[in-house]
Amino acid sequence: MSVFCPTPTQHIHVPAVAEPQTYDILLMQKRYRFRNLAHLLGAADVSKAGDRIAGLAAADEIEREAARTLLSQQTLQHLYDTPLTDAEGRIDSVMRINYDIDMAIFATLRHMTLGQLKDLMLASKGPRIRELGTALTGVMVAAVTKLLDVHELILLAKRLKHGASAQARTRVGLAGTLSSRLQPNHPTDNLAGISLLTYAGLSMGAGDALLGLNPAIDTVDNISAVLHHLDKLRRETGAPTQICVLSHIKTQMACLQEGAPVEIIFQSLAGTERTLTDEFDVTVELLDQACALMQTHGPLRDTGAENVMYFETGQGSELTYNKHNGLDMATCEALCYGLARRYRPFMVNNVTGFIGPETHLDNFEMTYSCLQDHLMGKLMGLPMGMAPCFTLHSQVTAEGQQMATELLAAAGANFFMDVYLGNDRMLAYFDTSGHDDQTLREIHELEPAPEYLSWAMDKGIFVRDEDGGLERGPNWGKPEQFCASESDYQRLLESVPAAYGFDNAGPRPSNQVARTLRSNQAVAREAIYADLNVKQLTDTLGFRQLITRADSREMHLSNPETGSYLDTHCRLSLSPEFTDVQILVTDGLSAEAVHHNIEQLLPVLQDGLQSRGYHCGQTIVCQYGRVKLAEDIGRSLQSQLVINLIGERPGGDAMASRSLSAYLAYRVADDQRPQAAAFSGNPDIEWEYSVISNIYQKGLPATEAGSVIAEKAIQILTHGAAGNRLESLLKPHAAA
Amino acid sequence: MTPTRPDAVRLLGLDFGSTTSSMMVAEVSLGKHSVNGRMTYTNPVLIYRSPACFTPFKNQQIDTDALLQQLSHWMQQAQLEQYPAHTGAALITGLAARSDNARVLSQLIGERIGDALIATADDPGLESWMAFMGSCQLLSRYHHNQPVLNLDIGGGTTNLALGLSGDVQCCGCYYIGARHFRFEPGSYRLTGLSPYGRELLRQLGVREIPAVFETHLCQRIVQWMVQSLEQIVLGNEATIDDGFRQLALLNPDGPQHHASPLVTFSGGVGELIYHFLDHGSWPATTAYGDLGIDLARAIVASPILSRSLSVRPDSAGRATVLGLTLHSSDISGTSLYISNAAQLPLTDLPLLSHLSLDASQETINQVIRLAQGCQRGAAIRVRCLSSETDLPLIKRFAQRLNHARDSTCLLTQTPLVLLLENNIGKTLGNYLSNWGQRPEPLLVIDEIPDRQAQFIHVGRPLKQVIPISFFGMSQEAS
Repeated sequence: MSVFCPTPTQHIHVPAVAEPQTYDILLMQKRYRFRNLAHLLGAADVSKAGDRIAGLAAADEIEREAARTLLSQQTLQHLYDTPLTDAEGRIDSVMRINYDIDMAIFATLRHMTLGQLKDLMLASKGPRIRELGTALTGVMVAAVTKLLDVHELILLAKRLKHGASAQARTRVGLAGTLSSRLQPNHPTDNLAGISLLTYAGLSMGAGDALLGLNPAIDTVDNISAVLHHLDKLRRETGAPTQICVLSHIKTQMACLQEGAPVEIIFQSLAGTERTLTDEFDVTVELLDQACALMQTHGPLRDTGAENVMYFETGQGSELTYNKHNGLDMATCEALCYGLARRYRPFMVNNVTGFIGPETHLDNFEMTYSCLQDHLMGKLMGLPMGMAPCFTLHSQVTAEGQQMATELLAAAGANFFMDVYLGNDRMLAYFDTSGHDDQTLREIHELEPAPEYLSWAMDKGIFVRDEDGGLERGPNWGKPEQFCASESDYQRLLESVPAAYGFDNAGPRPSNQVARTLRSNQAVAREAIYADLNVKQLTDTLGFRQLITRADSREMHLSNPETGSYLDTHCRLSLSPEFTDVQILVTDGLSAEAVHHNIEQLLPVLQDGLQSRGYHCGQTIVCQYGRVKLAEDIGRSLQSQLVINLIGERPGGDAMASRSLSAYLAYRVADDQRPQAAAFSGNPDIEWEYSVISNIYQKGLPATEAGSVIAEKAIQILTHGAAGNRLESLLKPHAAA
Repeated sequence: MTPTRPDAVRLLGLDFGSTTSSMMVAEVSLGKHSVNGRMTYTNPVLIYRSPACFTPFKNQQIDTDALLQQLSHWMQQAQLEQYPAHTGAALITGLAARSDNARVLSQLIGERIGDALIATADDPGLESWMAFMGSCQLLSRYHHNQPVLNLDIGGGTTNLALGLSGDVQCCGCYYIGARHFRFEPGSYRLTGLSPYGRELLRQLGVREIPAVFETHLCQRIVQWMVQSLEQIVLGNEATIDDGFRQLALLNPDGPQHHASPLVTFSGGVGELIYHFLDHGSWPATTAYGDLGIDLARAIVASPILSRSLSVRPDSAGRATVLGLTLHSSDISGTSLYISNAAQLPLTDLPLLSHLSLDASQETINQVIRLAQGCQRGAAIRVRCLSSETDLPLIKRFAQRLNHARDSTCLLTQTPLVLLLENNIGKTLGNYLSNWGQRPEPLLVIDEIPDRQAQFIHVGRPLKQVIPISFFGMSQEAS
């Protein structure tokens, strides 16, 4: 590995904060004014949910074109001289790192406008475009990208494919290749399940970029165990690739220091320092340390590997945490890339669509952001892979995701994900699959990384036809080839949920497998979009109805806070009832969960509460409610315990999409506050929670759940405690 | 032999067979099954396998002292005193179970290994079932549409179990085994003969027992055994002389014997068969001093018995002890009703009867009267269709059962255990106990599969679940 040292941060020159400047233009007899550069950048982009929530998106297409026209007239020097600041007017560490550019080349460009830069890029070949990128900050890259249309985003990215590769054990990103990160995530990090999903991916020619698992449990012991297991799978199968477990970077550093095979080190990045440090618990200094540690201790240091770091990004995280410094999502994303390039990573993976409708509402918004991100990353010299993905509570669909993937393959993305059947069993979202990766290779005539391909041909996973073209071989899509026996294979099969079969039709899953997958998705999505039958609950079961601040489903899904509070008028209409227990029924993210469970659950729960003579309020139903709604109601009614029966966020399993949770919110009594404060470390603690989840026919059936919740409520009110404090109080009893 | 993981649970299996005895200890974790979400033992790792040693006999009886000494030695090696097993089973099987002192010995073993585990003798159904679980449970689930018939052929008996999708449907047992005729290794010079061997010679018309068996006679004996096994595989077991049958495979309550199951083998003879398939050679003549090698060769040569030899069981040798170690208990669900966990374990409870959730008051009264006669406690299986878990039915059943308890003066200290397959244990228990306010000891344990057995053993709780072991599966025991 060639040793490199990132530029010391104090040696990076950043101009002083400039006086605020407005940007004005007259377009079609109408004057448009943008109050600062951040607003100009925001308005120049297509309208996306996150930028709309932040108040940065243009009101209409004319305003957007006005912004683009203005932006294209700005010089690179102007952008250089206008460093964007955080809420305190400070230039944060991420912005500072973005100024670590090639000043010699910048000097040749600085008088050029962004419009001229765009034209120059379109007239240039890959190496020249790449050279231009070394002289650009993230803000400059975001700005020029906002001037590009879809063809241009794809065309320029395609030209940048040459030279966008990176080398670990395999070289990923060469022209003519499409690689994949095999993501064998399992809800409990079950090693047998991880084996099967890894075997499935390898049998489909996936995993040449990485065997990379997102862990369920982020402890040094667990991460080390999974790393050793992935290492064993890699060695036993002989697949030339590298491994990674995507825990927090501090955990991975501890694992490496204990001798675990941290071949590639991972971290999620953000484009503002506040998001990076407050939310991701990472600083530039820590990333520098990790980079240095990998160079001195990484297992690949003497293998010819040139790149050993792996970053994940995606538009919207800064916005979700409301720590975006007034910048739009694309600009924040480009700032991430400015940070990432400091470490010459092996992979940068973009997971736009992962967060949900609060950042990207639909297929268009998700696809467009992906195309922007891919180009921005490549322009900044990064080995970009793409993970266009979605959650069921957004309006992004499988079809839209597949269209995005085709466009990104055309643009030359280095790699995609391989999540078996696209359904991530741990993170409850939908990504690309090994089937998708192979289909894209066949459509776009691409091959896996050369080292890996040679192994896969030895295994009969791929063969060459008489014209030298690459075809699926006899062992393609057969995970059992890596198992010692039928029983061994069966043992692995029994460890993976939502594996609807391993039958294939060409490069696609068989129709039967596809139908099971898609109908499960459909039922799960329906659960989110079904209306809570409030009338049935009030008329038949005698509930009383209250309303939250979310006045529509769109608001409920895109702004979770609104479902956490009662509508102001509604709250004013309530008066304290001083009950022991108040039951609240709300849809959360699955009205179907309520419809399928409540009638069986409630009578048992009520019988249990009555057996102890508790004073219970009339059951409340609220549409568009969230977990914390219990607190607003509990405060208003002065109830000691609020039991919030709420629909869970559906994953990909049809039955589980009807899954209900019970959040038992205990309003800490005054005489318990010292103990609760001492236990939690929060002197102002007001609420403690116990949770009973997974209430559905195949999980905890409703009739049984009623009893379980009632017993927990009795324990809470008997001991005056909930959550971990209650469990700690109960432990001596259990031992006795 | 110290635990390798913080949440480790130890399981123990002991098999004292016609020829050999062995012990295994496994370490497992308790966790949710990834697919069905039920609590289960996960990540089993065998941490101790004793060498197989000859079961000690003295004057046609098991040598109790020698055997207990052997057991102590194994337990010491596996550090079971320091890290005791949570569940498991010890079984005296095959011809050893016919020994007069087998039952006494099983009690002594039980005392030695502790009250958390079952120790029993002469339970051929349990033995067959365990051999299937140890041999081909996973394989049977892999071939989930096809029945699998496992023949566990040991020294004294062939234990049969027919299973589908990993579940045993019915069990059988015949006195067909390698060790009814014992020879000097390397020759066919007879050194011993079991009563069943003597009877077989009589049926074959051999009036004088020769000192050295000719090849022809050995072939006739082995052919008789193979033909008998073929008839069982073909579903014609009625053609076999009753005297060789301990337990018929055809279970009157179970599904009919499938015409063409996959056939797998386990036990000592099974191990020889698969060893030959892997290595292409047999041990020397009567190397083990019995007819095991001859029987294995004849099975491989039989088109009926060898038709699915390419399908390999999970484990052929020592399948019974492996089954006893890993599969001798079922794990309950996590939401149970237990009035007093300190009462556990409850050993050797008779499994009295089956009650449906809509049983009449009179039927429930009869069962409760039966339970009244069991001073140590009694278990009742409660059956309900999945559609029958609605609350009114549960409440009515609870009312009737409580009425029966109130009117029959069931000893207030006698534990009553209800076993259910459906996940409604806590709710049924709460209605039966008036939400924990009735004084009688009561356990309602759910998510336990319905098994044909006369006795159960209720283990100690572990992470909110209870292991239940079933035994007493032979028809004779009834």
